Amino acid sequence: MIKMAFGLRWAGTGVFLATEIRVQFHEWLAIVTGTLTPGALLIFVAVLAPDLIAVTLIGSLVYSMFLIGQRVLNEAAYIRIDHKLNELYHASPLSPEAYFVGIAGGMLVAYLPPSLFVLVILELLHPLTLVAWLVLASCLLAVWAVSSTIGYVVSTLFKDMKTIWPYSALLTNLFGIVPPVFYPIRFVPIEWRSVVLLLPTSGAAVLVNNAAGLEAIGGNEAFLAATALAVEAVALFVFGIYWARRMARER
Amino acid sequence: MSPEALRAVDVRKVYHGRGSPDVEALRGVSLALRRGERIALLGRNGAGKTTFLRIASTLLIPTSGQIEVFGHDVVSTPEAVRPLIAVVPQEGKPFFHLTPREQVYCYLRARGLPREDAKSRTEAALEKMGLEDVADRLSVTLSGGQKQRAMVATVLATEAPLLFLDEPTIGLDPFARRAVWDVLRDLTRKGCTVLLTTHYLDEAEALSERLYIVEEGRILFEGTAEGAKRQIGGTLRISIENGGNHRERFASFGQGVAEGNSLHIITEPGRVHEIMDVALREHLSATVGPVSLEEAFLTIVGRSIDAE
Repeated sequence: MIKMAFGLRWAGTGVFLATEIRVQFHEWLAIVTGTLTPGALLIFVAVLAPDLIAVTLIGSLVYSMFLIGQRVLNEAAYIRIDHKLNELYHASPLSPEAYFVGIAGGMLVAYLPPSLFVLVILELLHPLTLVAWLVLASCLLAVWAVSSTIGYVVSTLFKDMKTIWPYSALLTNLFGIVPPVFYPIRFVPIEWRSVVLLLPTSGAAVLVNNAAGLEAIGGNEAFLAATALAVEAVALFVFGIYWARRMARER
Repeated sequence: MSPEALRAVDVRKVYHGRGSPDVEALRGVSLALRRGERIALLGRNGAGKTTFLRIASTLLIPTSGQIEVFGHDVVSTPEAVRPLIAVVPQEGKPFFHLTPREQVYCYLRARGLPREDAKSRTEAALEKMGLEDVADRLSVTLSGGQKQRAMVATVLATEAPLLFLDEPTIGLDPFARRAVWDVLRDLTRKGCTVLLTTHYLDEAEALSERLYIVEEGRILFEGTAEGAKRQIGGTLRISIENGGNHRERFASFGQGVAEGNSLHIITEPGRVHEIMDVALREHLSATVGPVSLEEAFLTIVGRSIDAE
């Protein structure tokens, strides 16, 4: 029944997800180098503003989760444009939605170990309450849903890998570096705060910082950020499934 | 289940360009594959072969026409078609960061095969494709031919009732090509149906029971390789050295094609003696050989180009 809910078919998702994990683990160096940007920022902050280290640790978790979308983008585009493996799988019983979720889930699991390491450091430096843990987990899951969908959708729009690279970098910087993900929201001018709360990455970081007691925000702001993040995650993920089904067959 | 593995009726496909003219890739293709047949689609680059294969394998929606796989409409019920087919895409490559063994096994498992079946079929496919020695090496380290064999092994291991292979032996050495042919023959003996496109005319001749010649989105010929050869006026080719200057002397014997100084005449066996007599009288050396499928193909497609 679950397999067929809303006409969706999930058979084979786990196997394809495991396939993607295996592919990524064979490229283990990419998993290590993926930690360089947040790692470098953590070192800068530890030296220049040690009181912000917990905020930066949470930021690096959110950033790493958003980076998974970039990896989904690159992987989905690579196996479609360069390997034509999408055709191998789309002309098979594996459904397009299982293919999409398999890639997104595979990237999540494969690139999780560095984040677990960051989580341990966070827990040592700034132990979280149960509520803060739940907020953190929910926010990271939502960011993964948003970024994976954006990555997958963008991957289907181009016919050449080189065209995709600038968009990949643009998305990462636009969502991960510019808004207050690695730094507190108090540095953002008041007129920009609403925009920042609506963005999935900075919204998630602000919510977790608030739950962790690192930076308090108003009740209305928390509601706005949480609602926006939830709506964005659900709506985009549903759109991602629709898009995956649509793009499995060219017109 | 339908007695036909595939039936296409008046399939048309127009690609609408953004800012460029529309391209009519298929202009009313109709064909049928019986169960257990091996069929080749031949045509020049851009003739529409891959477009047809992609439509038949649910990857592309046609502009009009009807196409069924085992009685299931590929446009309205792709979910019913997909478990029955498997595709080797043109220029497809395996996951570079999986080994051939992982590639085949993971694909079979994703198609829903139980573990043990997937394992045994993987081993059998690797052996048939001669990949045992490299089965545990990452595909990125394999040669181009080995990668292609891994891709073909992945699809053949499915033993899907209908297999689509788009240029499956491109880049393979003659031994590997013949290994693929053997596996395909074996699969059709078991009841699988095979539709392949190829640029290797010897492959089409050796492998396919029937063939379709496609040009500019239309089917120009349907039948056996022998039938294609007969269509061009004979089954034998007499090549006359320096015959280019004596073309008129041989004009009455059949279709003559000059190539450099040589003249090739396509004719029937009954007229060979007469032609050889004339060649002897003119002191010209001549050789007799069978007409090749390539000559038939060039003639059939050439006529169509001339007609346009």
